[in-house]
Amino acid sequence: MPKHIASGLKYLAAVKLKDAGESHQAIANELGVDRSTISHYLNGSNLSWNSIDVARTITELTPRDFLVMAEAVFDEPEQSRKIVNICRERDFEVTIADSCIGCGLCVNACSMKAIKLESLKAHADSRQCCGCQLCEDECPTNSIKILEIE
Amino acid sequence: MIRNLKEVNDNNFDITRSAEEVRNLSFNDQVCLGCGICESTCPVEAITLNAIAVDARHRLSNDIYFSGHEKIAQNFHDDFDVQRVSIDESKCVLCGMCSGLCPVDALVLTIDDIPIREIEAYPHYNAFSEIDDDECIYCKRCEVACPRDAIVIERVLPSRADLVTGEIEVNEDDCIYCGVCQELCPAEAIVVDNETGKESIVIDTEKCVYCLVCKKSCPTNAIKALCRACSYGEYDLDPAKAVVTGNSIIDPELCVYCGWCEGVCPTDAAKHKKPFEGSIEVDQEKCQACGACVDICSCNALAFPVSSGPGSRMEHVIANNDYCVKCKACAKACPNGAITVKRTEIDHTPIQSATWNEALDAIKD
Repeated sequence: MPKHIASGLKYLAAVKLKDAGESHQAIANELGVDRSTISHYLNGSNLSWNSIDVARTITELTPRDFLVMAEAVFDEPEQSRKIVNICRERDFEVTIADSCIGCGLCVNACSMKAIKLESLKAHADSRQCCGCQLCEDECPTNSIKILEIE
Repeated sequence: MIRNLKEVNDNNFDITRSAEEVRNLSFNDQVCLGCGICESTCPVEAITLNAIAVDARHRLSNDIYFSGHEKIAQNFHDDFDVQRVSIDESKCVLCGMCSGLCPVDALVLTIDDIPIREIEAYPHYNAFSEIDDDECIYCKRCEVACPRDAIVIERVLPSRADLVTGEIEVNEDDCIYCGVCQELCPAEAIVVDNETGKESIVIDTEKCVYCLVCKKSCPTNAIKALCRACSYGEYDLDPAKAVVTGNSIIDPELCVYCGWCEGVCPTDAAKHKKPFEGSIEVDQEKCQACGACVDICSCNALAFPVSSGPGSRMEHVIANNDYCVKCKACAKACPNGAITVKRTEIDHTPIQSATWNEALDAIKD
């Protein structure tokens, strides 16, 4: 079953990349599957619509639940990171206040690898943020604020 | 989903977090001054300075005070077997602020096995202590004075034979192996064997001090003295210049930059710089001479004045500003609030983080 949902999520990602104008080969490289599989996906064959429905429901969960589900479905964190980044529908703005002490707990918490430590302060790349707010929960000084961009 | 793999070792003073990077915080009670800077700056309030002041009161109430200060000092660690600080490992986030602000590296945070003192982004006090080997005469005064036993002076002495003014030679044709010289020699440098057929006389040049007792006492005038000063005699002895050489080593882990080494050094070889500058004063009205400050001071900067005689009671302690590192451990330990320490200058490398700069400013008066 997780394998089918993984395929469904890959399908959704492939459609999104296709809509963004990527070639089949580029999509295959990005998702780590071969080009013919991508072509089958995009032609609507080799995949049950049920899997796609379940996958779509997962992408529509709260950002944190989506991330947790994706991590459960894919073995490689690298892969779940890619899928979440491609499939998420919303963008977020991360601000880190000067009260940051540079402890690095947020760096550990972030599955999207969006946060880096520099000069004793955390710096976040909002483009990578999936909005799960795990970092906010971890931060001992409440220095992180994540807002959804409308 | 649980990503924080925090491990705490048995004694609770070594915390490791393995994730994106491996962070480890360790505490060394042997090095700790008990100053409490870590307690006051910890952003998550995970550190507690153990109440040394309470210990002092306990001693006062138990009459230990009246049994003599030496005994108090001796029993200090036995009676109160506590570390100077406690760390609540569940609260600690391993940010390293305690390590960055600790003036003596008693708390050390390592990130991927690199201590933060070697990472540029973190603040470092511009404190140091060093001994210039070119100036050092290896007199060991600093080794004796160092309150933390951080200094080791290894002295290499010149050969005694190079220092004496001459050498003794025995003319074995005249020597009768009577052994008079052996018995009289104050340096025990002569061995005579008078067994028939095996007669011999040996002079140990390493031991001989050229006192000429042997020459004066020899009944057969078999001993010849060869003087170096007047190039007398057959030998060209060419005495080497006698210079003391050696090594001076300061253990950076133990050194607290108190400056005793520089204070006692007769040749300006020892140099130091303290992490903090400021002042220390003991209010003689309030001081009850309990000795808590003397016990806690890592720098021997607080002391009882020299006793005016047996049985005399100590009235107060005196502070020596020159050797005080302004750590404030004494002010915290004093049960009567008699000690005022002011930290007016902190010299550290520049850092960019606002929070860290605030923390550094906060420990200044």
